[in-house]
Amino acid sequence: MSLEPQSSSGFWLRKRACVPAEESTSEAASPSGLDDLRARLNHWGQLWSVESEANDRSYAQRLVAERLTRWLERCFGQHAPRSLRGKDDCVSLASSMPVLTAFLGRRATRELSRRILQDI
Amino acid sequence: MPLLVRWIWLLLALHLAVGVIAYAHFLLTGQYVVLGWYFSVLGSSFFLVMTTAECCLAFACRSWFDQDEPMRLAWSMIACAALARLAGTLLREISDGHLPWGSGHWLIPHPGGLFANSSQMALVVGGPLSMAFLAIGLGRVLSIQRKFKLAGSLTRGDRALLILILAFSVSQIAIDLPLLGRHPSLGTMLLWLSDPLLSLLLVEAVLVRRSVIRIGHGLLARCWGMFVVAIVTTSAGDAALWATSRDLLPEPLAALSWYIWFVAAAAFASAPAYQLAAMTLTRQESLRLTAIR
Repeated sequence: MSLEPQSSSGFWLRKRACVPAEESTSEAASPSGLDDLRARLNHWGQLWSVESEANDRSYAQRLVAERLTRWLERCFGQHAPRSLRGKDDCVSLASSMPVLTAFLGRRATRELSRRILQDI
Repeated sequence: MPLLVRWIWLLLALHLAVGVIAYAHFLLTGQYVVLGWYFSVLGSSFFLVMTTAECCLAFACRSWFDQDEPMRLAWSMIACAALARLAGTLLREISDGHLPWGSGHWLIPHPGGLFANSSQMALVVGGPLSMAFLAIGLGRVLSIQRKFKLAGSLTRGDRALLILILAFSVSQIAIDLPLLGRHPSLGTMLLWLSDPLLSLLLVEAVLVRRSVIRIGHGLLARCWGMFVVAIVTTSAGDAALWATSRDLLPEPLAALSWYIWFVAAAAFASAPAYQLAAMTLTRQESLRLTAIR
């Protein structure tokens, strides 16, 4: 079975045409609500992975990295943060969450990330 | 050290302290009365407590993982290994009559032609069956460690040790194979699997140990470290039994070597206790903070 037809633009155009016009229009959200949501998502996105240079990191990013390092040391060991550094050589939620989820389970990792992101 | 682990090792320390008195009595008098009572009554109770704790803790760890999580299978296998060890201990205690109401032969159905007696069935369940489950579980842990690049590379010493272990298992198989001609029972043949399975567990222990050295001494690393301690002490106990059966150990040393099984039982129980402590760490911290406030 080939997935090619589905990934082509034709498939999506056909698919879009099937949706009735009244269903495709949703109730407009207030612009301030959307801005707030966008700002929040950007903030979480920045916290999730540290892409900027080490000296450009915000206070929140540093706090997250610090807390993550402490939890990684307690759960895995003192050398774990070094082994789990991302491409940018920083401990980030993006580089640590998969391994934490694998060895602690989803439930424990959810609680742990809540603790890490508390008051940020 | 987590509270549960502290309790396990405190209980072991107390048990060994009583054991030292029993051993001193044996050395002074040369009689097995007190030592025999210690191993049959206190020793049996200790094994029952430890294997029950190990089983409950391993199932608790398993319940923290969802169906689709990779470590679920690992902890399912480790929990099955603990359950098999508990079942083996219970069967042995019942068949040996070390229970408060005496012998419980009537509790166990006759094993039939598969096993020579109920004691052999207990040995198979608590030995090779439990080891097979643990080997699958640890194999799974190792593959997940490798996926996350947590597995450390082997040193020359590790490689030499692995070759030694493999040579030992091949020699054991070479000794056991000619005995097949005597038509042994299924139980006897299953017991022959103990050495190769223990060798496999030792290989896994060497690999797990490398990852522990690589990441440090956190709660999860200590959990795996405890499995290493348990496997190594089990192997040492097995080697002592082998040496005793060939009169290679003097009597006082042979009696001393029996104590090693208590350390192995405590290490097996501590491993899931460490894992559970790591998973409930955030909850414990929240409770502590609430108490402080």
